[in-house]
Amino acid sequence: MPEPAAEVPALPARVVELLPSALFRVQLAGQGRPQATVHVAPEAGMLRVRAGDEVLVRLSAVDPGRGRIVGRI
Amino acid sequence: MSVAKSWDELQKMHRACTITVETLEALAQAAVPGVTTKELDRIAHDRIVAAGARPAFLGYRNYPATLCISVNEEVVHGIPGPRKLREGDIVGLDLGCIVQGFYGDAARTVGVGKVDPAAAQLMRVTRESLLAGIAQCRVRNRLGDIGWAVQSHAEGFGYSVVREFVGHGIGTSLHEEPQVPNYGPPGRRERLVAGMTLAIEPMVNVGRPEVKVLEDGWTAVTRDGSLSAHFELTVAVTEHGPWILSEPYPYAAGPEMHA
Repeated sequence: MPEPAAEVPALPARVVELLPSALFRVQLAGQGRPQATVHVAPEAGMLRVRAGDEVLVRLSAVDPGRGRIVGRI
Repeated sequence: MSVAKSWDELQKMHRACTITVETLEALAQAAVPGVTTKELDRIAHDRIVAAGARPAFLGYRNYPATLCISVNEEVVHGIPGPRKLREGDIVGLDLGCIVQGFYGDAARTVGVGKVDPAAAQLMRVTRESLLAGIAQCRVRNRLGDIGWAVQSHAEGFGYSVVREFVGHGIGTSLHEEPQVPNYGPPGRRERLVAGMTLAIEPMVNVGRPEVKVLEDGWTAVTRDGSLSAHFELTVAVTEHGPWILSEPYPYAAGPEMHA
């Protein structure tokens, strides 16, 4: 019997700042301040991300200050 | 990290896996057009009890049956019921039992009567993916090597592997550390050590990999409604190579495998 995969959930967030090196600072929904610096994940495809966009973010299990944008809301 | 099993413990798991696989063989014979899935569940339960074992799934997180039976687009965790099997269905049978506190877990997908060639190929490739994964169960390989072997074989035929469910360590409980995904990059995650026991179980879809769980809280189906197959075996990692626990110990040496 297979076990449900333990996956880090994708969280809704808002892009607040574009940074160099294709990085983005995002603010997680329901949290006070910009919190994570994220890349666009390859599986999100050619996703154009601008400041103010609502995106889905999967944070790294090892470093919650980093993560990937996995799609648009 | 899964706990390395001793030779004695592996013998108990060997017994549990043998009973499981023999029962699956009987179920495969019994899966004919017109039989209900509930009927197959009863056969599974009776055979496991007659062999002196206990069903592993019955009551596991409130699962209501001995057998998981997943027809066509159902991926895994189908609950037996009044549904009648029809000619051309492909049926995933997933079963486990407990012998002296140790678990065995196995699954296979069988065709009911005559199935079309596309479905037959799906079943063949899924089984081959499982064997490719098992071949990676060697000391010093890593968990990621197993997933990679399964994924690359299945995707080579244009199929996809399910991400939401994964294989698992097994021993004194049904699901132990570590998780064994059927995907992922090679050379990553924990190294395999002698005495680890893993249930490797590729779930392969004809269409896209996404699945959803129905309202019963168990049955997982493919989102796009495409066919899905599932094979599973419990494997011990030994110094000499993989040991499929439902088979006789394939290497000459016995208990000294941990030496």
